[in-house]
Amino acid sequence: MITTTAVRLRRHQATRRNAIAAALFLLPTLLLILILRIVPTVSAVGDSTRDALPGSLAEPEFVGMEQFTRMFASESFWQSVRQTLLFNVVVNPLQILLALALAVLLTRGLPASGFWRTLIFLPAAVPLAGSTIVWGIALRPDGPINGILGLIGVPAQPFLTSPDQVIGSLILLASWIGIGYWMMFLIAGLNDIPTVYYEAARIDGAGPWRTFVSVTLPMLRRPLLFVLVADTVANFVLFAPVQILTSGGPQRASNFLMYDVFHRSFELTDPYSASAELVVLLLIMIGIVLIQFRLLGSDKET
Amino acid sequence: MTRALGRAALTALAAFISLLFLLPILWLLASTFRSSAETFSSSSPLSWGALWPERWTLQNLGSAVDTGFLLNLSNSIVVAAITVVAGLLISAMAAFALAVIPFRGSAMTFSIVVLSFLVPFEAIAIPLSRGFADWGLTNSLFALILPGLGNGLAVFTLRQFFLGVPHSLAEAAHLDGAGWFRIFWTVYLPLSRPAMIGAGLILFLFQWQAYLWPILVTSQQEFDVAPVAIAKAFGAFTTDYGRVFAETAILAIIPGIVLLILQRYFVASVASTGSKE
Repeated sequence: MITTTAVRLRRHQATRRNAIAAALFLLPTLLLILILRIVPTVSAVGDSTRDALPGSLAEPEFVGMEQFTRMFASESFWQSVRQTLLFNVVVNPLQILLALALAVLLTRGLPASGFWRTLIFLPAAVPLAGSTIVWGIALRPDGPINGILGLIGVPAQPFLTSPDQVIGSLILLASWIGIGYWMMFLIAGLNDIPTVYYEAARIDGAGPWRTFVSVTLPMLRRPLLFVLVADTVANFVLFAPVQILTSGGPQRASNFLMYDVFHRSFELTDPYSASAELVVLLLIMIGIVLIQFRLLGSDKET
Repeated sequence: MTRALGRAALTALAAFISLLFLLPILWLLASTFRSSAETFSSSSPLSWGALWPERWTLQNLGSAVDTGFLLNLSNSIVVAAITVVAGLLISAMAAFALAVIPFRGSAMTFSIVVLSFLVPFEAIAIPLSRGFADWGLTNSLFALILPGLGNGLAVFTLRQFFLGVPHSLAEAAHLDGAGWFRIFWTVYLPLSRPAMIGAGLILFLFQWQAYLWPILVTSQQEFDVAPVAIAKAFGAFTTDYGRVFAETAILAIIPGIVLLILQRYFVASVASTGSKE
């Protein structure tokens, strides 16, 4: 009787000690989440319900949902939404498909696979601002990309200075960086697939395509979902190329939500309408992340 | 025979694609060592000279040094180094608590940590920078470093690694009277070198890339990190393209070398993002 009480007491003490230790170990990370995620989100939501004359020092007044109603009624907001979606609907599947194709190609035991892999990954090591500038210069009328077009008899293209070509140019730039980076995640995922599955498929007489569809793809579901979501949220907030090369132009064709928030905040000194737009962007981000969580959680039972 | 031919064709394809990815870097390096005039004359019309300087010069590197780029570079290095060391400690502690210490609400805390950091930092950088301005924290190394310290991917990959460490090791240390901190410091950390290198790379790459946050929280030139300095040089009224190329090449070569050496740790770390636990 006495011993069981003592054991229970000791166990109780251990549980408490563990809880305190876990709290201490987690404290810096939880503080960072508070400072770096929760506080700015709350302040953005707060600011989105206020308004003041741009640049004025007067205390902002509470306007409720007015920023949102005004924003939803403005054509320029919807243009930013359209251009952001257009960019993302193309760039994300394109990058992940090419990354997947390269990952498969480079895990087939070809000679010097590791070397090719490194070369394709290298652009991800160049800081984004640097690669932005290199591509910005390469896409000039007298740059090497137009030089290549010139060799095959195509006239010089305006690229970043044409509203019709600017999104394509940014997709090219983002893909040069992104494909190799995400390819690494997929290569890691491919290497994790136990070889017995491939042997089984071979014994069943499955060809390469059949094996890919019925073994590789299903086994690669989780890494694929992860890179697709991580790539999507990253491209939704792509900033440096737009700010350095296009300033949202020409004719606002690259005025993506992320850049527009920055532009309103600092160039128009209207942090309140910027906050309303940022809240929309945040909701999109949180939505994408939650969908991923649901999808990853749902196959735990299977 | 057809199999060998197929393999040769696939290898040629792999080599061709790799070269396509490499070309902009070769052009960047070549343009670093020649005059801007030569850079543009070799690309329009395009000749092989675009990839190999005709008249080599160190003038671009010299003008990068003369305009104070080394200060910007050392800012970047200091910020990245402190981020890696402090960020690794913070992430490893969180990962250890989530993987090893049993406590109520562990799974829920893990979800909160992962979910919060999956929302990209850039999305809330602008309101956060207004907070930093209100708190008087702008124009400091601290402001530049802080956002790099919380990294969900680093916590996640380290937790995956810690989960794979046999629990009996912690139990044995526990019986010897070791507390959680000693178990963390003397059992788990020494075992985790590869995972720590992988997580360190993730922290380093985030900070070395940083551009939006530095322009939001620094206004004094002496705090400009290298990417900001390059963008300023590029956006200047009369751009010295040669200098911009040289600075970009310097900025790229550091992570390039680091990744060439440590690539396998990076791959091993990101592998855990697809695992089921």
